[in-house]
Amino acid sequence: MDVAQIIFYILAAIAVLSGVFVVSSGHLVRSVFMFFVTLFAVAGLYVFALADFVALTQVVIYVGGVLVLLLFAFMLSNKESLDGFGKISSGLLSTNRLAGVIISFAFLFILVMIFSKIDFESLNWIKASQLSGNVKTVTDDTIKNIGVNMMSKYLLPLEMVSILLMMALIGAAHIARKESHE
Amino acid sequence: MNFYLLYFLVAASIFSFIAVFSLLSVYAERKISAFIQDRLGPMEVGKYGLLQTFADILKLIQKEFIVPTVADKVLFTLAPVIIFIAVFLGFVALPWAPNLVPASMNIGVFYVFAIISVEALGILMAGWGSNNKYSLFGAVRSVAQMVSYEIPAGFAIISAVMIAQSLDLQVINYNQGILATQEIKFLGFLEVNQIGGILAWNVFQSPHLIIAYIIYFIASLAECNRAPFDIPEAESELIGGFHTEYTGLRFAFIFLAEYAMMFLVAMFGVTLFLGGWNTPFPNIGSLKLADYTTGIYWGIFWVMGKSLLIVAIQMWIRWTLPRMRVDQLMSLCWKVLTPLAFACLVASGLWRLLLF
Repeated sequence: MDVAQIIFYILAAIAVLSGVFVVSSGHLVRSVFMFFVTLFAVAGLYVFALADFVALTQVVIYVGGVLVLLLFAFMLSNKESLDGFGKISSGLLSTNRLAGVIISFAFLFILVMIFSKIDFESLNWIKASQLSGNVKTVTDDTIKNIGVNMMSKYLLPLEMVSILLMMALIGAAHIARKESHE
Repeated sequence: MNFYLLYFLVAASIFSFIAVFSLLSVYAERKISAFIQDRLGPMEVGKYGLLQTFADILKLIQKEFIVPTVADKVLFTLAPVIIFIAVFLGFVALPWAPNLVPASMNIGVFYVFAIISVEALGILMAGWGSNNKYSLFGAVRSVAQMVSYEIPAGFAIISAVMIAQSLDLQVINYNQGILATQEIKFLGFLEVNQIGGILAWNVFQSPHLIIAYIIYFIASLAECNRAPFDIPEAESELIGGFHTEYTGLRFAFIFLAEYAMMFLVAMFGVTLFLGGWNTPFPNIGSLKLADYTTGIYWGIFWVMGKSLLIVAIQMWIRWTLPRMRVDQLMSLCWKVLTPLAFACLVASGLWRLLLF
C-alpha cells in the first residue's frame, strides 16, 4: 500500500466519522464546525479523482459561503427557538423520524447491492475509454478543458444558471430594501 | 522516501519563514508607527530595541493558557490552529523564483483564493468558542467584511488572470518578464519579450490593471482585518474583538496568522500584478540588465523586496488613516469597489478581444 492509498483511506475515514458526528451530535454549533471537516475531507477525495477544480470549488462555495451562512443564521436566531429542537422526541422509530429511517435504509440497501453486484474493473464504458485512450493522467490540465466546454458545449446551461443567480440577487435586494410607508 | 523528506523540509522552511517574518515585521510596525507619530518606539531591549520582539515572544510563551469557564473548550482551543493553518496553506502555491515553487499546480490562483476563505471560519470559531459577546461581535463583523470584500478582490484577480491567460501562478510569473513563453506587449503595442523588466509587468502590459491592483490592495487590507478596516478589533468598542479571551501561545498563533496573512496577500498581489519574481530593470540595448538580474537568488530577492514594500505600505496606511464605520465600509465595498472591479473585468475582456 503506497502513501497515496494510505492518505485516501485516512481522508475517507475522516469524512465518514465526521459525517456521523454531524448528524449524531446534540450540539448544533459543533455539528456545523464538524461539517466543515467533512467537506474538507470530501474535497480531498475529489483531488484523488483528479477533479482538483471541483475540490477547490467545494472549499470556496461550501466552506467560504454556505457554512458561514449557516453559522450566521444560527447566531442570529434566538436561543429559545433553538432549545425547542432538544425537546423533539429522538427515538429511532418515533413518528417524525420513521420516514427518514425507511428512506435511508432503502438507500443503503441499493448501495450495498450495487457494490456487491458490479465488478468495477471490467465495466464496459471504462474498458471502451481505456481502449480509445480517452483517459486523464495526474499531470493533465483539467481546468482548460472545463473552460472550453463551459464556453462552447454547455454555454446555454451556464447562461441559465447565471439568470437564476441574477433573479436570486434581485429578490434578495428587494427583500432587504426599506419599504416606504404611505 | 527522500521525496517525502523534501516535502517536510519545504513545510518547515515556510513555517520558519513566517515566524521570522512576523518577528521582524512586529518590530518594523512598531518603529514605523513610532516614526509616523513622532516617537522613538522600542529602545530599551538591545540596540535600538532590536530584541524587543524576542522579549515579547518570551513573555507570550511563559503565559498561562486561560480558558474561560463557560467557553466551548474544544472550539476555543482549535480556532487559533485553524486560523493559522488556513494562512499557512496559502503559501504552498506561491512561487519564489524560476523553478522554485513549493507546489506547482495549474489552478494556483483559485487555490490561494479558496484557502484564504477558510480563515473566516476559524475566526467565527474563535468568536463563538470564547462565549463572550464582544468576541462574537468582532467575529461576525470580521466575517461579514471578509465575505463582502472577497467579491471585488475576486473580480480584480480575474481581470489579471484574463490578461495572463493562466491560473498557474508560476506561468503568470513567467509571462511577465524575459522568460515569457508567449508574446507579451507593453501597453498592448510594443513587444517586450526581449526587453523585460518593469515594462513587462502585468500592470504595464495593460494599464487598467493598475486600477484592478488598487481595488485588490484595498480589499486585501479588509481581508487581513487591517486598519482602516479593523472594526473587528476596534479597541474603543470591542476590546480586542474575536481574540479578546486568548492568552499566551494561542494568542501568539492568531498574531502570527495576521502577519503571515499580510505577507500572503502582498505576495499574491505582487505575483499577479507587479511581476512576481521578475526584475524591474529592462534590457537597454547591449546593457542586459534584465538578463543579469534574473535567476533563483535574484528571484527570491525581488519577490521578497516587492512584497515587503507592499507590507510597509500596509503599515503606513494603518498608522495614517482613521478606522471606517461599518456602514461606510460596506458602502465602499458594494457601491465603489465592486462596480469598478466589474468595469476592470469588462476592460480586460475588451483588451483581449481587440488587441490580440
